[in-house]
Amino acid sequence: MEYRNVLTTCPYCGVGCNFYLQVLDGELVGVLPCKSHSVSQGKLCIKGWNAGEFVVSKERLTKPLIKRNGHFVEASWDDVLDTIVKKLKVYRESYGPDSIAVLSSAKCTNEENYLMMKFARAVLGTNNVDHCARLCHASTVVGLVRSFGSGAMTNSILELEDADCILVIGSNTIEQHPLIARYILKAKEKGGKLIVVDPRAITLTQFADYYLRQKPGTDVAVFNGFMNVILNEGLEDKEFIKERTEGFEELEEVVKKYTPEYVEDITRIPKDTLIDAARAYAKAERASIVYSMGITQHTTGVDNVSSSANLAMLTGNVGKASTGVDPLRGQNNVQGACDVGALPNVYSGYQSVADEKIQAKFEQAWKAKLGAKAGLTVVEMVNEAAEGNIKGMYIMGENPMLSDPDISHVRGGLENLEFLVVQDIFLTETAKLADVVLPAASYAEKDGTFTSTDRTVQMVRKAIEPPGESKADWQIICDLARTMGSSEFDYESPAEIMNEIASLTPIYGGMSYDRLQQGGLQWPCPSKGHAGTPYLYQEKFTRANGKGKFFGIEFKEPAELPDEEYPFILSTGRTAFHFHTGTMTRRTELLNREVPTGYVEVAPQDAKKLGLADGDLVSVRSRRGQIETKTVITERVPQGMIFMPFHFAECAANVLTNPALDPVAKIPEYKVCAARIEKVSS
Amino acid sequence: MINKVRDLAKKWLKGKEVDAVFGLKEQGGYIAPYLFTDANELDNLTLSTDYRLCYTCRPSKENILSLMQRGEPNIKIGIIARGCEERALIELAKRGQIDLNRVKIMGIACTEQEARECKCEKPYPSSLVFGERVEGTAKDDNVNALLNKSLSERLAFWRYELSKCIKCYGCRNVCPMCFCKDCKMEQEIYAKTGWLPPEVPMFLFIRFYHLSDRCIGCGECEKACPVDIPLLTIFKLLRKDVKDLFDYEAGMDVEQEAPLLTTLDETPMREEVTSGV
Repeated sequence: MEYRNVLTTCPYCGVGCNFYLQVLDGELVGVLPCKSHSVSQGKLCIKGWNAGEFVVSKERLTKPLIKRNGHFVEASWDDVLDTIVKKLKVYRESYGPDSIAVLSSAKCTNEENYLMMKFARAVLGTNNVDHCARLCHASTVVGLVRSFGSGAMTNSILELEDADCILVIGSNTIEQHPLIARYILKAKEKGGKLIVVDPRAITLTQFADYYLRQKPGTDVAVFNGFMNVILNEGLEDKEFIKERTEGFEELEEVVKKYTPEYVEDITRIPKDTLIDAARAYAKAERASIVYSMGITQHTTGVDNVSSSANLAMLTGNVGKASTGVDPLRGQNNVQGACDVGALPNVYSGYQSVADEKIQAKFEQAWKAKLGAKAGLTVVEMVNEAAEGNIKGMYIMGENPMLSDPDISHVRGGLENLEFLVVQDIFLTETAKLADVVLPAASYAEKDGTFTSTDRTVQMVRKAIEPPGESKADWQIICDLARTMGSSEFDYESPAEIMNEIASLTPIYGGMSYDRLQQGGLQWPCPSKGHAGTPYLYQEKFTRANGKGKFFGIEFKEPAELPDEEYPFILSTGRTAFHFHTGTMTRRTELLNREVPTGYVEVAPQDAKKLGLADGDLVSVRSRRGQIETKTVITERVPQGMIFMPFHFAECAANVLTNPALDPVAKIPEYKVCAARIEKVSS
Repeated sequence: MINKVRDLAKKWLKGKEVDAVFGLKEQGGYIAPYLFTDANELDNLTLSTDYRLCYTCRPSKENILSLMQRGEPNIKIGIIARGCEERALIELAKRGQIDLNRVKIMGIACTEQEARECKCEKPYPSSLVFGERVEGTAKDDNVNALLNKSLSERLAFWRYELSKCIKCYGCRNVCPMCFCKDCKMEQEIYAKTGWLPPEVPMFLFIRFYHLSDRCIGCGECEKACPVDIPLLTIFKLLRKDVKDLFDYEAGMDVEQEAPLLTTLDETPMREEVTSGV
């Protein structure tokens, strides 16, 4: 008899909790929290506790599938690889490499994302590689880079506990990042002040000292209002502004007109509450800003992110422990997938494809000719597919048929492809549209690393064998690249891939499995002797001149506002009990029992007006489409706003959402679109 | 002490007194429960109060020891057991989850510091083999502070604490005594599904009641709580009440019937005793 526990990193959100997978005679029998792990400390959320169940689901893909006459039939690995390679070569030769697009995956390891972008760039010859970071924190990567220099959480999760004030905006932390909420509550119990800014009265608001309920899409005005109060009362950190920043005059000029009265007009936040909250933030010794998709998923996503950076710099709350700007990343490895370059404009470590020196470095290392022009982003890929400009697409571990905005349009785009390959652990809504489906190993069946939201690279360890003929994604990519004729994909193990990443990526320069086996390392970690970096910008910012930059940013309305025909603001998000497109959580009994299907939250006043009762079947319609779902009548949403979780294919919120993009970050506006709702007569 | 434990474990394995030793293993920078079947591996055996051994596995809701005993019906397993671990074994055996005849206990006492950290009432097993026996603490600071407060203050205290619950079910999942196939916490009458926090305290209280004569006071639930609800405080109070009312302590004597398993005419109820092994 054999019984062992394998320490690994949770495959759900970006907190990076560690737990053991319990293995009895080769079978996964349970999950056990890890008490020695820095962040999780022997605790898990409901998803983490149940992260073993989907792994052993009977619905796992176990054989490669190929579509014949509209139906999937099983095929051998050799056959499917041959088919894929023939097709990809034809498109590459006939239409050019940019006729192919690749979606990498925030669920896969760093090593796999690195290989996927290397495959796209060095083997296929295109920079058309992106992943779902585009849909959650593209505005963070762009916004924080232009303000600070690096597009990541400035501080560490554990530091939150010692903050004197925490401003949470657009993050439903208790439900989406429960083990981070733990440290927010601890800070509060130690006497810290909590400010929550959110249109929905999320669970965290019950602990808030100041709850600011803004109208959806008015975040820039909220930030400018804070800064107006701070400047008006002389609460800014003059020395920090002078020594460490530039562009202050531009900010000052813009912020002037955002008086509390003016901001109340735009945001509906009572001016006195705004003033009190601004004072609490500015007067705190150490103040942190925590945000998530509530501010990033807007056509003004970059503006929102830069505004949060403005506020932090204005009060000198950067470069010290328990301060900073902390974007909470949604996926287990969305930070890592960005770090290792699964983005159309950068190689690993955010090294620009347009920089000749960088290009030369990667050309030499990979022995390939590389392109200097940035590739397409997620939503643009679908648009180009719909136009017929993208012929072949390769999707690893992503499910755009539920996750992307305006699903009918996504379906049109994917169906218009000549050839679609999907590599996943389940036959997802997207995989069903594929010509070839490749069965992949889950996190429990392979080695690798994930990078959590606070830049901590951590081990993922193989506990059990992958089911059937499924294989680890890194092995599939290597097989594919070799079949394409590349000799640069002969890796024995993920450890070897990490060594290559470290050699080409300055921020990961000191990473190796020998070190990571002993515990996580936070980037930047430039050399073998470097202990990692808990918080950024202690001495200087990473922008070229070392200064942080203020941007004067005017408030802009969302792309689509309510009108007579579509009188409600529809906002979308997640629940505590499901994850993203539900591929994993909807195959978990306890989570399904908590939330079996979708719903739409409606405010009591609106329900009364429309004659709706709790649980009524309603039709929700936008300019993109229409779905039917049940109502939940609740004061969580304010009058005039409705909210839907996006996990559920049978009532997919993203049929309705607006694919309007932030002009720079190209992130869609999931948080605001116009909708109407009416009772379905039975 | 660790060397003595390793030596005895080796002797047990080599002498075929047991087929395997269940303990904690140090491997590549971390510690976790492990089943040793090779005496050479026992140099990696370690001691820590961080982990117990007899956890309930999910989703099967079977104790890991029960799964092992079922997997190999003749296996005899040596277990390195602290006071709480021995109490868990006794209570699990009493409730038909494991077979104690196929378990050989190597009892070890906790140090004074370990006992204090765990707020343990009885930091030693009855079958003590290694270590010095130190006395535990029946009450902790939390309990004392609470008992000195007025009822309304106590209510306010618990209202706040329970309002933090994020419904992770961690307290239940980590509990060696939570093995019910049909868990009361999952019933909608105690908490609206899909909603945070649980609107009424019954979500947690139904578990408190259900465990009142089962809780062996290991404190794992409190350690697993992401929002630091002082669950051990509740269970200490409950264990005291059960002791006062029924003169019963969970995990002390395998022959003693549990009060909630006894009918009004004092004949034992057997419905809970399943054919676990």
